[in-house]
Amino acid sequence: MATVTPIRAADAAPSGAGHRRGRARRSDDGITGYLFLSPWILGVLLLTLGPMATSLYLSFTDYDLFDTPEWVGLDNYARMFSDQRWLRSVRVTALYVALAVPVKLAAALGVALLLNGKRRGQGLYRAAFYGPSLIGGSVSVAIVWKTMFSDDAAVDRVLRAFGVDTGGWAGNPDLSLLMLVLLAAWQLGAPMVIFLAGLKQVPRELYEAAEVDGAGPWRRFASITLPMISPVVFFNLLMETIHSFQVFTSAYVVGGPNGAPAGTTLFYTVYLFDRGFGDYRMGYASAMAWVLLLAVGLVTALLFRSARGWVHYSGEKA
Amino acid sequence: MVGLKRFRSLVVPVVALLLAATTACGGSGGADGAEESGPVTLRFSWWGNAERAALMQRALDLFHSKNPTITVTPSFQEFEAYWQKIATETAGGNAPDVLQTDFAYLREYADRHALYDLKEQEGKNLDLGDLIEGLKGAGEIKDGLYGVPVGGNTWGYIYNPALYAQAGVAEPELGWTWSDYRAAAKRITEKTGVAGSGNPIDTYYNLELQLLQEGKSLYTDEGKLGFDRARLAAFLGDGKRMADDKSVLPVEKGVQIKPKHPLESDLVAGAGAWDNFLDRYSKSTRAELRIAPSPSDTPQVLGQYIKPALLLSVSRKSEHPAAAAKLVSFMINDPEVGRIFGANRGLPPTNAQRAAAQLTGPLAAVAAYEDGLKGKLTRTPPAPPKGAGALEQAFIRINEELLYNRITVDQAVDRFFTEADQTLGS
Repeated sequence: MATVTPIRAADAAPSGAGHRRGRARRSDDGITGYLFLSPWILGVLLLTLGPMATSLYLSFTDYDLFDTPEWVGLDNYARMFSDQRWLRSVRVTALYVALAVPVKLAAALGVALLLNGKRRGQGLYRAAFYGPSLIGGSVSVAIVWKTMFSDDAAVDRVLRAFGVDTGGWAGNPDLSLLMLVLLAAWQLGAPMVIFLAGLKQVPRELYEAAEVDGAGPWRRFASITLPMISPVVFFNLLMETIHSFQVFTSAYVVGGPNGAPAGTTLFYTVYLFDRGFGDYRMGYASAMAWVLLLAVGLVTALLFRSARGWVHYSGEKA
Repeated sequence: MVGLKRFRSLVVPVVALLLAATTACGGSGGADGAEESGPVTLRFSWWGNAERAALMQRALDLFHSKNPTITVTPSFQEFEAYWQKIATETAGGNAPDVLQTDFAYLREYADRHALYDLKEQEGKNLDLGDLIEGLKGAGEIKDGLYGVPVGGNTWGYIYNPALYAQAGVAEPELGWTWSDYRAAAKRITEKTGVAGSGNPIDTYYNLELQLLQEGKSLYTDEGKLGFDRARLAAFLGDGKRMADDKSVLPVEKGVQIKPKHPLESDLVAGAGAWDNFLDRYSKSTRAELRIAPSPSDTPQVLGQYIKPALLLSVSRKSEHPAAAAKLVSFMINDPEVGRIFGANRGLPPTNAQRAAAQLTGPLAAVAAYEDGLKGKLTRTPPAPPKGAGALEQAFIRINEELLYNRITVDQAVDRFFTEADQTLGS
């Protein structure tokens, strides 16, 4: 995070020079800039904002993809709260976010700490831990994961060797969600790299001073490392929370549209997709999408508010 | 000022480009009055895999050589993605001219006025005279004809004879009853350690089978449920007892191998299934599989019927219904097409194509099985109502929770009827 600031400052210098060359030239630069941007501006308008506005409108209608949408006001929103499957999908998703985010962040930070020191082949280890995050979101990995956690497959056999008989997790309603949490934790590469960058920024003098004062490893971690990298922790927390709310591919591959076994992997996005493209209830699905957006927005706002209490920017001296 | 001029010189092409894009979107419609005079291009979509696509291409090449003025542009997906694509294309007014439809979706699309009434082409460009007995009239809804079957299949009991022999249980044959079925399942499980059967409540069609055996049906002609709570409770209670008894495959085993069928992984000694699946299951297991008629407590009423497996429909928006009907007619009647596809789309729909198709192995067994059922089949029920596909999903979902002991039989029945009210009511 801290590395971003100097680059920005350097970037700003030439454009600052341009300011001095008079108005006409400047407005001209603006237009050319917008023209260069136009593919993206058009993309945002036509492919993001347009569909978003449409889905907001559709969320107030009864729309089955074939007939013209019929205005029903807030019906779709009201119906959600008595829809048992919707309530379940909210519970499943909330539980998943509450488990997957801390587990993944703790794992990422742990690995980052291990890989922070100087050691032979450090680059290789980093690449090895980063690798899964490149492929982890794919359908094929989800299929492999489900197979690994099935009856008589790798995980079942290893656990049985230790005397734990869980059967295949993919068929066990008590463990199916945990299996997806582990899949998320396995893809710890992206937050790990960011943690590593954060760890590199912590001044060595602080540790040396603390060591002189007799602080042990745990004390050094809790009193120096964590507060110093708290902006990075906050950033990772934010990104992972938002990602976790949106998990779809792995859940859909493992549990299908019904969230098998017994509805324990019925994620919000899976239910949304099933309502829209399985039952053709696009109005309801659109309303669900907007509720998800509001929920993610609310959680993000709460995180930002809580950040005042535990994120310290003092370490980054500008 | 200079800037403004340069700006304008850039604005003109950009706006022109945008306008071009807009017109491109609005350029459809405007059916030409002079049909069939010039060359025609048809868009044709189906679901399937690469194997079916290769066969389809050969059939379409043959069609083009016989009808040089008609060019067909094919496109295919696998089943689920196919329906998502067709739904969005239809919603966008951009449906293909000819599309493959499924019996469960036919009414959904016909009721929504997405399909062309092929009655207008019957006898002109569409010849239905040679359809086999059980498929005549399939695809008719009210007074219209919205789909033409390209293949048919019927329910049956697919089983592994080696496990029956090992347990010393007689193989299923015409005339076996549901109590025979339950006793066999229990004994095979005890003797072989392999589940004697898949759970009958795993599939909606076993319920339909039992209802037809009792002279009832899954849906009434008005599209309402054809059975009451007590009947469903009896059906589910039976499956639950067999599960508790451990004479059928435990639910968690089946969930883990989905989308594969337990017969493909040698997890069960038998299960009710559509007969054309004998071929697919046989390909993925080393065990020899056979097929027998379903168990029935009323031997004179088997409760089985010929289901139109795949149908071909023409989009209402199509500008070339006559050419589209010609393609459909060719697909069901041309003997060469029958030879090309064999039983890839289910057993061929017409007598000419059945005679031309050279079936071997499991497919020959399926053909022999269907021959043996002549005169014992029930009339094909009307196409399921709109929402039937979603209700079948609900049935599977609710039964899974029942078998995981998350809910009781009564709660399962309640839930199913609530879902049915919502999906069939609207």
